[in-house]
Amino acid sequence: MNIKNQFKEGLITNNPVLVQLIGMCATMAITTTLFNGVGMGLSVLIILTCCNVVVSAIRKIIPNEIRLAIFVVIIAGFVTIVDLLLQAYIPALSAALGVFIPLIVVNCIIIGRAEAFCQKNTIGASFFDGIFQGLGYTVVLIIMCVVRELLGSGRFGGGLIDVANGFRLTMDGTGAGIQLFPADLGASILTLPFGGFLTLGVLIAVMQYALKKSAQKKQLAEKAEKEGEE
Amino acid sequence: MLTNIISISLGAILINNFIFSQFLGCCPFLGCSSKVETATGMGLAVVFVMGLASAICWVIDQYILVALHLEFLQTLAFILVIAALVQFVEMFLKKSVPSLYSALGIYLPLITTNCAVLGVVLLNVQNEYNFLESVVYGVTGGLGFMLAIVLFASVRERVEFSDYPECFEGFPICLVSAALLALAFMGFSGMQIFA
Amino acid sequence: MKKILKLTFILFLVCAITAGVLGLINEMTYDRIQEQKRIKTEKAYAAVLASDGYEETAFDKAAFPTIDKVNKCTNGAGYVVTTTFSGAQGRITMAVGVDNELLCTGISIISHAETSGLGANAASASEVGVNWRAQFVGEGEDVAITKAGGNIDALAGATITSRAIANATATAIAAVKSLG
Repeated sequence: MNIKNQFKEGLITNNPVLVQLIGMCATMAITTTLFNGVGMGLSVLIILTCCNVVVSAIRKIIPNEIRLAIFVVIIAGFVTIVDLLLQAYIPALSAALGVFIPLIVVNCIIIGRAEAFCQKNTIGASFFDGIFQGLGYTVVLIIMCVVRELLGSGRFGGGLIDVANGFRLTMDGTGAGIQLFPADLGASILTLPFGGFLTLGVLIAVMQYALKKSAQKKQLAEKAEKEGEE
Repeated sequence: MLTNIISISLGAILINNFIFSQFLGCCPFLGCSSKVETATGMGLAVVFVMGLASAICWVIDQYILVALHLEFLQTLAFILVIAALVQFVEMFLKKSVPSLYSALGIYLPLITTNCAVLGVVLLNVQNEYNFLESVVYGVTGGLGFMLAIVLFASVRERVEFSDYPECFEGFPICLVSAALLALAFMGFSGMQIFA
Repeated sequence: MKKILKLTFILFLVCAITAGVLGLINEMTYDRIQEQKRIKTEKAYAAVLASDGYEETAFDKAAFPTIDKVNKCTNGAGYVVTTTFSGAQGRITMAVGVDNELLCTGISIISHAETSGLGANAASASEVGVNWRAQFVGEGEDVAITKAGGNIDALAGATITSRAIANATATAIAAVKSLG
């Protein structure tokens, strides 16, 4: 298993949200501003990487019967650490994500990776798996946020980008974002729960379409190759 | 008191439905909703566990965590309680109420990772509900989940026979149907109770 | 039996280590979290009614159960009232500025759990949120949303949140009035 392959798996061919179809609650719930999306994505990335490394490090000493319980305890531990750190250093993010930070505990991505990958692989591989799967998750969150924010309220980068006082990134969620067209023209329903379900549905459909197309292309190429040999 | 209870119940079932407005418990919602029967089973199991978990976690939170100033252990304690609770309920039902076990049995293990259960417990703490309010919120939140999943399953049974673009096969078309249901539930959002 | 004991012991050990680490992190962050909360409250106070200091004043808690604190501005500008009440999703904690004519000088939401994109707009720093909160400035004890015959336009899709905030503002003004 090389790093390049893992990168491709995490981001595209085995993307946690779009292909494995897990961890969808938060994906739909918090993707209303870019600030929330980036914050949630990075939190999951950090927790996932830490859990992957720890689970992989102790994979040989934990008894098989209670492995799930131990995974859950480890995950809950890291989630609480991130929760406390956010409360202390980025309180705006902690307030915006609310109950969805502690709920990372039951996000199937983390326990899924622990069970499916880290149990069988070395610490190094697990570390990169955490980074790339986390990145894959973050990218999907960012796409969701950008689409919903732009079409919903004509904005880009709400909470994260501040243009009023020079172009800069805000860490306290006060940046108003870039208004690309008046908010009244946006389909504000996209920022509501309806938009969460719809955007994710369309996104997965696009992914399925793309994967199918590339599979077909491959098949065609193989066929052509075979014919050429004959 | 009574009005408070009624307003919590209606809020949890309709206005702030766990699935359609809070996005809690989406995984089992999408995973176990291909048939109305399985959806009902899953729904019942969730009502049962959410009510029990609310009650037990409230007691643990108030008399152990808050009393000893260990609030930072809430997430860890709650998830362990829920996991253990689900195991116990499963063993108990298997031994003493086999008929119920055959109906709910296969759904119980799935509930541990249902974020609606952990979510309701954390929301109870956040909203500073008392014991009765917590239990009511747990049970009615579960009922809201059940309503959503049963409605959705009956929609899905029909969607199967309809025409849609090929790339929407499977999950995407489900999410689009769920979006329309969420739209319907939005109608409740302006509703107001005893104000 | 021996096996079960061993498993229990391992699980207990893992829990104990995790709890220990968490305790350590909690110890490290506790002061800072309290400090952040204090800064947030102070900012909210300053946003609704500026003063060089605030002095907690006694009020009739039995008559106004939702009011947390009534603070008198030391510069004599009026009062800042903090109140906690039920919104659409959970509890909302809010600071309300009340001047000596018993008119609202502004509201600022300290914490809430309202739906993102709907009720959460009431607290957001975005244009929608700022404009919405600005409606409360100059309102009196009869403040209410338009549906209830007042002047406050409810936030789109968040009538319950809007109504709760308007009612809480009215209660806050009434509490200041009761001080005489």
